[in-house]
Amino acid sequence: MIDYEFIKARSLKEALDFLGNYEDVKAIAGGTDLIVDIRKENVRAKGFKRLLDISGLKELEFIEKERDRVVLGALLTHTSLIESPIIEQHFPLLASAAKTIGSPQIRNRGTIGGNINNASPAADLLPPLIALKAQVKLCSVRGERTMSLEEFLAGPYKTNRQSDELMTEVHIPLVNEDYLGNFQKIGRRKAMNIARLNLAILLGINDGTIFDPRVVPGAATAYPIRFGKVEEAISGKDIKDIDPVEIGELASEEMISFTGVRWSTPYKRVALASLVKRALESIFQEAKVDE
Amino acid sequence: MSKIEVNITVNGAKHRLEVGPKERLIDTLRERLHLTGTKEGCGVGECGACTVILDGEAVHSCLILTAQVDGSEVLTVEGLEVDGRLHPLQEAFIQHHAIQCGFCTPGMLMSAKALLDKNPNPTREEIKTAIEGNLCRCTGYEQIIEAIESAANELQAASH
Repeated sequence: MIDYEFIKARSLKEALDFLGNYEDVKAIAGGTDLIVDIRKENVRAKGFKRLLDISGLKELEFIEKERDRVVLGALLTHTSLIESPIIEQHFPLLASAAKTIGSPQIRNRGTIGGNINNASPAADLLPPLIALKAQVKLCSVRGERTMSLEEFLAGPYKTNRQSDELMTEVHIPLVNEDYLGNFQKIGRRKAMNIARLNLAILLGINDGTIFDPRVVPGAATAYPIRFGKVEEAISGKDIKDIDPVEIGELASEEMISFTGVRWSTPYKRVALASLVKRALESIFQEAKVDE
Repeated sequence: MSKIEVNITVNGAKHRLEVGPKERLIDTLRERLHLTGTKEGCGVGECGACTVILDGEAVHSCLILTAQVDGSEVLTVEGLEVDGRLHPLQEAFIQHHAIQCGFCTPGMLMSAKALLDKNPNPTREEIKTAIEGNLCRCTGYEQIIEAIESAANELQAASH
C-alpha cells in the first residue's frame, strides 16, 4: 500500500516552502503518469509520504517570447503547447511531438514539466527538447539554478533535481529559419501509444549544406541522448550527397554501441534505421521546397 | 488518514465533500454521487471509458484525484440530458446504431461533447482525433463517427 498525505499548494512560494521543509514529498501536476504508478504500486512511486498538488499553480502556465528565447511555464499542458501560435511558429518540432502524446484526455492534463521530470526513456517531449537545446529552471527556498536538459537527465526515470527543488520553467533558444526539424514515432497503435521508439532531428541547412545537426532518438538508449556519430557523419555535407538509408544504419550501430545487443535489438535496429531515414527524407524534401 | 474538503459542481449541482487523499474523481462520481454512467474500464488512462468533462476539457476521471479538483465543474453523461430530453449526440448515437454493448458510450459521448463545445463544425479527421483515446470493441467506430457528424450538423442547424 502506498499511503500519503495530500497537500494542495496555493502559491509557488507555498510549494517551495513545503518542499524545503520535508524530504519525502512527491509533486503531482496532471497525474497521468503518477496516478498510474501509485495504483500499480510501481516502485518508482514509492518512498514518498506527502503528495504536493501543484496543478493549481496558474503562475506556471504561461508562454512568453523573449528576444532570443521562449520561456515556458512547467505546468503548460500538451494541449496548450499544441494550440500555442508561438510554439507553432518557432518550434513546430515540439508541437508535432506533443500531438502524438496519448489522447486528448492525456494531453489536456499532462504537462511539459511532468513529461520531463518523470524522465521516461520513451517520453515524447525529451528528444525534441534536447534537439532544441532546452534549458530547465529549478527553484527552491535556497535559490534557483538553470541547466541544460541534457545535464538534467541522469538516467531512466532519474534526474538531477534535488528533493527541495521544483522545475518552474523550460527555456528554448530561438533558432533561425535555416533550421528544419522532424519528429517520428512508432508504437503499437496510433493513439495512446507509449513510444517503442521516437526520434527528433533538427538540422541547420544553408545552401544545401548541413550545419549544427542534432539527432536525438528516444526509447533507443537508457534515456534520450544526442547521437554524436550520426551528427558528425552529416555535418558539413551537402544534402545531395547524403544517403538517408546509410545514415539510418549508422544510427542503429550507434544505438547498439550504447546498449549492447538486447532482446529488443533485432526490432529496434531495423526500426530506428527506418525512422532516421524517414526523418532525413522529410527534412531534405522541405529544404528543397524552401529553395 | 486526514480528509480533504472539496467543493465541486457536478452536472450543475454543488457538492461539498470530504474525501481521502487517494480517492479518484471516478470513485467520487460513482460511489459517492451514484453517477454510475461513467465507467471504469482499464483504470490507467488507456481506454477512455471514464471520460468526463472537467472545466471544459475531456479528461480521464480515473487519473485525477478528487482532492485536486476543488472548485471545478464536472459534466458527466448524466448531465447531457435536459428536462428528460436526450442531447442531440445521444439521439444521434441511437439513430446511427453507434452503440452495441454500451460500455464505451458514456466516454465516447463526453469526448464528442468536449469536441463540439470547442469546434461545432469538425472535420472527420478532427472527430477521429477527438475520440482517439476512446476504445470501442463492438462498433468499429464508423457508426460513432457518423453519429458525431450528424449531431454536429443538427446542432449547427438548430443554432441558425
